[in-house]
This record gives sequence, C-alpha cells and structure tokens, in this order.
Amino acid sequence: MSMEQTPEEHDMLAAEYAMGLLSGDELVTAKRLATTDSAFAQLVTQWEIRLASMTDTLAPEQPRAAVKAALLAQVFPAAPRQPLWQKLWLWQGLSALSVLALVVLLASGPQTQPPVSGPVYTAEIVSQAGDFRVVAVVDKTTNEVFLTRTAGAAPEGRILQVWAHGEGAPATSVGLWPQGDTIRIAMPQDIAAVEGILTLGVSEEPVGGSPTGSPTGRVFGTVDIPGVSNSI
Amino acid sequence: MTIDGRDALEALIAQAALGNQAAFSKLYDATSGKLFAVCLRVLSERAAAEDAMQETYVKIWKNADRYQVTGHSPMTWLITIARNTAIDRLRARNVDHDVADYSDRIAAPGMSPEQSAVATSEAKRIVQCLDTLDTDRRTAVSGVYLQGKSYEDLSKQFDVPLNTMRTWLRRSLLTLRECMAQ
Repeated sequence: MSMEQTPEEHDMLAAEYAMGLLSGDELVTAKRLATTDSAFAQLVTQWEIRLASMTDTLAPEQPRAAVKAALLAQVFPAAPRQPLWQKLWLWQGLSALSVLALVVLLASGPQTQPPVSGPVYTAEIVSQAGDFRVVAVVDKTTNEVFLTRTAGAAPEGRILQVWAHGEGAPATSVGLWPQGDTIRIAMPQDIAAVEGILTLGVSEEPVGGSPTGSPTGRVFGTVDIPGVSNSI
Repeated sequence: MTIDGRDALEALIAQAALGNQAAFSKLYDATSGKLFAVCLRVLSERAAAEDAMQETYVKIWKNADRYQVTGHSPMTWLITIARNTAIDRLRARNVDHDVADYSDRIAAPGMSPEQSAVATSEAKRIVQCLDTLDTDRRTAVSGVYLQGKSYEDLSKQFDVPLNTMRTWLRRSLLTLRECMAQ
C-alpha cells in the first residue's frame, strides 16, 4: 500500500480502523500505524471519541447482580498469591550492574551500619511492554524503600512518583522521584504499617507530583510483595 | 464531585491500574449500566450482552494502565472497549474483520487535555450531525458502528458496488467530521 496518502486519506483510514471496517493488508497497515505512529493513533482516538457519542442517547440498563459476582471472581481469583521466592525469579532479569548499584546505595546511606534485624523484601516493577523497570527493596528495619531504575524514565518535563497500598486499600503516595537512577524514601506511616501484601507502583507525573492524590499519568507497573511483616 | 464525574472516574481507573480491587468495583458500579446498554444495543440479547460486558471489564482491569496514554475521556474509553468487544462477539464467525485494538495502541502525546476536551464536546454533536445526512447514509454509519456491518454487508443492503459503497461511507464520515468541527 502506498504511503503517499493525503492527510484526508490518512484520517479516513483511521476512521475505518476505529469502526472495524478494514480487512487484509489495509488492516495490517492500520494496526502497525496505530502502534508506531502517534499522530495516527491520535486520529483513531478522535474518531473513537466522535463515534462513542452515538451511544449518548442510550439509557443505562441494569445487568443482573450475578454478572458482577462472576466478573470479580474472574479477575480477583481467590487462589493463593505467588510466594516471595517466585517473585525473586524476577531478579534474573536484572543486570549485574544494577544490582551492584543497589548494593552500593544500600551500603552508602547515612546509616552505614544498619542493624540487620528487620526483614528486607525485594521486588521488581516492570511495565507490561518491558520498557520500564525498577528494583525495589523494602527495609523494615528503617521502614525505607530503596528504588533503582534499570530501564526507562519519566518523559521530558515529568517526574516519577512512587505509590503503595495494602490489600484493598487505595494507593497513597510514598514520595516523589524527581531525578536520578536511585532513590531512598522513608515510607509514610500508614504504608509502613501495612502487613500482608504490600503493593508498590510507579507512575509518571507533572513536576511537583500528582495534583489529585492518585496517579494521573501512565502507571508503569506495580508489584505485590506478599507476607510483609512488621515484627523484627 | 459525583461518582460519574470525569475526574472521579479517572481516579478510579488510575487506582485500578495500581491493582486496587475496591476502586475497580466502584468503577463497575458507576459505569456498568451504560456499558451494558451499549452491549445490549449491539447484541440485542441480554445473556449475550452480559457476557460481552463481563469480558469488557476484564479488559478494562487488565488495560487500566493504558488509559492515560490513549487520550480518551474515561467514558469514551470505556464505551469504545464495550462497543468493540460486543462487535467482536457479533462477528465471531468472521475472523477477517478485526476491530481497532486499543491494548497496544501507541501513546498519543499530542493530545492535550484541552484537545481532548474539544474532541469530547465536538463529539456531543454527532447525533445532530447524523441528522444532516441522507437517511441511507445515516443508516449506513450507524449500521457499522452499532451493528458491526462490513462494506460487503452495506453494498448488499444498498445494492451498490463495494467501491461505491466505500466512497459513499467515507464521504459521509467527512461530512460528519466537518459538521462536528463547526
């Protein structure tokens, strides 16, 4: 297919893609453009927004309560969560250099000889696309979290923000990560108090952090750290 | 702020992206009536619409972290996923027709909140703009969006050659876009 399209043809292709009218080579081309060309992706979104308003006149209809129950059972299976040792396999994906950076960070903090008495948990936050990776170490002795960025960064003019929550609780901000590959953050009291599953996440936010108290930018990923305990 | 306000829904989607189950449950409560209506409009039958809606929310849960990069408003994002899921099911036997895949869509950083707001208010007028089209063309556009019709289906329905049908529908879409931009 010729790439010498007029802007109008380009927009029509986006509209047809949004409506599901394409097939064969044209569908392949549109799919590729939607994943590689942000201007085209935006045209598709604009058509989706225009077309979605065709449903404006539809009055809400109540589905049976059983549908919600089935949905929740499907997305939140009651099966036991992955034990920590399985999560640790994530370490396989780390470069030796990033581990070294983390060890140096751990050794060079203000408390050079921390009493090694509280539990230490390690986990890795990886975006689904694999373009963003952060290793997190939660130190329950000092209730600090050490983070090391091993891939990806906040977009230009944005910063990273670290989030955490206990099971079923809303995510709260742990702190901002304005620059650098590594950071050490003291955990807020309610996060330090979490027992059981502690979930950590990283998002990108405006400079100064999220204005809403919840992530407003892309959430790169989250990780569940099971079996977190405050007992020394 | 009401639960279905844009900011409230965005906060729920953001919390869902972080794995917050309570937020996801609230998001369902706030939006399932509308999404069920969309699925029902496409699939007609309640049981099929419920299945499609359930699949829609599984996708929403799995792709909540993709919401911010698409440039949608929360409701248009949710409605688009519901519509595409329902249409996919309607066309289940015809694998050649695949609807736009939102899950691997590249970020559209050019869309500022302002542009997105413009697109949203522009979209409000599609119903009026559809009324400016000839009846046949209006039937064709809504047949594609709400009944998943293909160009082949339309060319049979209106008894015109496929290429003519395509030119015809594209012209209708251009007319709509121009009308909505006014």
